Amino acid sequence: MSATSNLRHSQTARPSSPHTPQQPLRSANTSFASASSPGSSFRNEDDAIIFEIGARCLRAGFEGNGTPVCVKRFGPEEMRRAADYRGWIHGDIGAGPLPKPVNAEDWVRDYELWQPDLKNVDLGLVEDKIERVFRETYNQYLLTDAGTSRLVLALPALMPHPLLSSLLSIIFGRWRFPSITLLPSATMSTTAAGLRSALVVDLGWAETTVTGIYEYREAVTKRSTRAMRALMLETGRFLTRLASGNDNDEGKEDDDKEESSDGDISVGFTYCEEVVSKFAWCRQQAEAPDTQTATDQTISIPSPKNPEHEYRDLPLSDMAKSVEKVMLAPDVPECDLDDEEKSIPLLVYNSLLSLPPDARGTCMARIVFVGGGARIPGLRQRILKEVRLLIARHGWSPIRGKVVERQRQRLEEMKITSQTNSHSQSPDNIPAGTTDDEKEKSDPSKEEPEVDFVDQKLRRQNKDTPLPIQGILREVESLGPWAGASLVTSLKIRGTVEIEREKFLQYGLAGATRDLEQPVPDRRSGLRAGDRSSWTLAGWA
Amino acid sequence: MACPFPYTYVSCPCADTPIPDPARKRRSRESPQKSTPERTNASSGQDTQEVKPPHTQDEQDEEEEEEQTFDPRSPRSNFSLYPPEQLLYCEDCHQIKCPRCITEEIVSWYCPNCLFETPSSMVRGDANRCGRNCFNCPVCTAPLSVSTIENVTGNGNQQGPWVLSCGYCLWTTLDIGIKFDKPTNIRNQLQKMTDSLSGPAFDTRSRQGSRAFGDLKSPLSNLASIEEPATTQDGAEARFATLKNFYRSQISETSTSPSDPMGSDFGFSSPGALNRLMSLYASSSRLSGLYGGNKKQKPKPPVMREAINASEGLRIASEDGDASIIERLASPDCGWDGVASLSQRTEQSPDVRFSHDLLPLPVLLRTKRAKRCKSCKHILVKPETKPQSTRFRIRLIALSYIPLPTLRPLTLPSSSLVPSPAPDLNALAPLRPVHVLLTLKNHMFDPVRITLATPSVTPGRVASKVTVLSPQFDIGPNSDVWDEALQGASAPITTDPRLRAAEKVPEAGKVWDKGRNWTTVVLEVVPGTLPGSEAEGGKEGADEDELAVASQQDEDVLEIPVFVHMEWDAEAQLEQQNVGKEAKPGDLVARELAYWMVLGVGRITASL
Repeated sequence: MSATSNLRHSQTARPSSPHTPQQPLRSANTSFASASSPGSSFRNEDDAIIFEIGARCLRAGFEGNGTPVCVKRFGPEEMRRAADYRGWIHGDIGAGPLPKPVNAEDWVRDYELWQPDLKNVDLGLVEDKIERVFRETYNQYLLTDAGTSRLVLALPALMPHPLLSSLLSIIFGRWRFPSITLLPSATMSTTAAGLRSALVVDLGWAETTVTGIYEYREAVTKRSTRAMRALMLETGRFLTRLASGNDNDEGKEDDDKEESSDGDISVGFTYCEEVVSKFAWCRQQAEAPDTQTATDQTISIPSPKNPEHEYRDLPLSDMAKSVEKVMLAPDVPECDLDDEEKSIPLLVYNSLLSLPPDARGTCMARIVFVGGGARIPGLRQRILKEVRLLIARHGWSPIRGKVVERQRQRLEEMKITSQTNSHSQSPDNIPAGTTDDEKEKSDPSKEEPEVDFVDQKLRRQNKDTPLPIQGILREVESLGPWAGASLVTSLKIRGTVEIEREKFLQYGLAGATRDLEQPVPDRRSGLRAGDRSSWTLAGWA
Repeated sequence: MACPFPYTYVSCPCADTPIPDPARKRRSRESPQKSTPERTNASSGQDTQEVKPPHTQDEQDEEEEEEQTFDPRSPRSNFSLYPPEQLLYCEDCHQIKCPRCITEEIVSWYCPNCLFETPSSMVRGDANRCGRNCFNCPVCTAPLSVSTIENVTGNGNQQGPWVLSCGYCLWTTLDIGIKFDKPTNIRNQLQKMTDSLSGPAFDTRSRQGSRAFGDLKSPLSNLASIEEPATTQDGAEARFATLKNFYRSQISETSTSPSDPMGSDFGFSSPGALNRLMSLYASSSRLSGLYGGNKKQKPKPPVMREAINASEGLRIASEDGDASIIERLASPDCGWDGVASLSQRTEQSPDVRFSHDLLPLPVLLRTKRAKRCKSCKHILVKPETKPQSTRFRIRLIALSYIPLPTLRPLTLPSSSLVPSPAPDLNALAPLRPVHVLLTLKNHMFDPVRITLATPSVTPGRVASKVTVLSPQFDIGPNSDVWDEALQGASAPITTDPRLRAAEKVPEAGKVWDKGRNWTTVVLEVVPGTLPGSEAEGGKEGADEDELAVASQQDEDVLEIPVFVHMEWDAEAQLEQQNVGKEAKPGDLVARELAYWMVLGVGRITASL
């Protein structure tokens, strides 16, 4: 998967037809305007609109702004008919408990724009929802005419094609947008952190995505279903148990009920989401709860039985438990975890492991957390701590297990015996990795980096540029994909995936070239990239 | 549903003609056999035109769709159903237009609170919000009013400091430690204060007011606001600006001229503008790259680097950054309401977590919009520009063209003279026939022939039987009211309707009542039984849960889809006339219009 926006200005000297000097002239004009006057807001009408669309919410705003104008969440209220105002009857925390426990899947379905599994998704309904939410966003928040300016969509790098096709065709078919630019959200998060390489951990709704970005290119992507959706379900079950625990004081009966209706949820979704957004948190340390002052505190939340009128006390640590259980899976051994449900620290570690060492060193010092889960206080620090533990335990070797350990010991014994036998063999000749002793395979970040002459030469060449920080675990805060897309667009950098209206309406997604060696267009805007006769989906293809 | 029973909705016909997905069509066509280039060309040609060969799969699908009755229960129909008064009508396409099949153009921007118009040049600068003193409460969204603190004590002379206070939830800006020196231009004053949030001066200056008022009750919150390093207090906007500056400088450093990476090779220490000028006259970089540019390109252009410190926008997360947040969450004076709720946060800056951080919200502007038909671009609605005016220059609402449907229950007289009470529409007994009167009122000046069609059994799990007793009827023209009065003094209107009702019995094939421009017909409805109710399977005791679920999902709402087909002879308009032929203005053109309508009759109860 190649990143689509490559900021490095490496103009490949490609053989092309001779250009008239008019083209540089035009581009010079625009770059003059953009470089010299930071307030390029004179050209209001040209400002592109940026949308970031996820399964749960949508952010929209203008390029060059740091924060979106509006954030809209999807929910059943957005699916009501015109002039149906029932949604206003209930307050923030919803309508109280559901009359009947529902299956967890049904519980969340109305609140998602789409599910990752498109088998059960009515794409027509998704189109209806997108059309309505776009129209309302334009009419209520953006307050500009839809379709006049460019549209930039920050999308996750992995979008099902039918969904992408629906999204584009509804936007192109409904309004007269001249073109739509797609930007990958992970790379945008990197940009919004001020970085060129990063390990972007997107604690999103349906899944957590860990993307290693190296020099604006997606190098590795790993995903896990341990994300906000799972957390919401877990909290919903927890609150359901709490509600039913209120019902019958007998503990035994309580257990029976739990078992019978395990997985079904009876509390309102909005209520549960409110609880999660307010009080979900995570302990900084796995053990030793006595050191935490916060754990023995109690909080009072609206009672799950009757959220409008009653409150109920709850130890704050209970909220941390569900976060830990979902995100970190502390009690489950690694071998029991399926590929799709690796815990987040493991996912981060595995992603780092699968990166080439250079990229790994760069990325591990630039870990960026985005998404809804990044708001949970303490979770990011905790994940980093666990990753640090994993690194300390395993080093950077993917080979582990009892047999490997035995093998290693045997080799070590052999090494000792061979060393005692003949001193001529230097330990350097023994291939690393297999015979690393304990000290060597401890944290590589603490080792003195080996200085090789290429590095030295490079360093001498660019003395003024400071050494990039490498090899330590470090978290960098990002402004999020929306801000990144806004940043990139306002700098007049053109994305690789720019879909023009006419071309799309003619062929749809099938019109995209599969040619991966797409000639890199001039990314500065103004220049319409010559005649771009074909367009590509790049990473989305 | 939301409206009290009975109600009527009209489905915009645009739902039947969805926006075609070009790729999907292609895919379905290509899937049966491998496509030759010739075939793709042919199919693409068909895609651009909307003509499809009748034998394709799509056509079959669409035919099937057209055969289907409209299901008011399907989630998609929610997006095409509108109250009749919200619909527009395009006179050129002769079609109903809903908000989905129009395009909108903004005529003017105004603040709904102070009704001042904002010029278009200032809208973006004000971030689409009112630039004056209009604010909404961040807690409850009620409008805030400017008041003085002294005013409360009864002091007559209006003197500062001033605060914004909410009349509904009694929130004031004092809660977040903000006072204003002047009662005017609050937005600017607030802007200055929030801008200073970003600097380290924030703690000492802006929050002074709150300290003075002893508003920081807990030592914890005090702790939190002090201990946070200044870097993390940067607002998102401030950091964004820093990053933008950084990238901008990097771009200009790494490439003096965007199209000419060799600009730096010449070694001019002159400003970039000169280089750009030079590059105009120098041969294109690509050409020189082609012809031995390899020598010149040897020193590669410097690579854009990443941000390395806070002044460039890099922000390293602090090691124990969230510890203070967790402590604050746990502290007893935070509580449920101390944390900002989701809806409160959506309007605020993304960093806001506690309700103490909520800032008053300037009122979002609203727009007056002209509306055009999406397909023919004719203007359907054009309001007057002034915010105070509610008048429209052009407004083609659908109700001037389609008959207004109204529904009411028929109170059939019992054997005695006392009329039986109208059936409670919120509790319709299952399996007990109800008669409802559907009145269609014509607003056109031409008489209209109406044909109603309805599925005999409503779709969904609750199957109710519906019969339109007289599905075909005429409605008179919307002529002068006096015509009727003058023509027939013995018009049936003069008779007591109750008396008439007593005589009448709903009869198949007969119109119930008829007036100048309206006609009433009777629908006989037999509500179905709810799933899980005792009426269904003779089960003892209704399944309460099941019923509650049904009620929640509106399954117990009796909604009847009715297909309306109307025909009338309209006077030919100028646009329709052939230019060459002499057509008299009196020429009549036959018109027809067909659409689905949904009648909400009532709620069905579980018990018999």
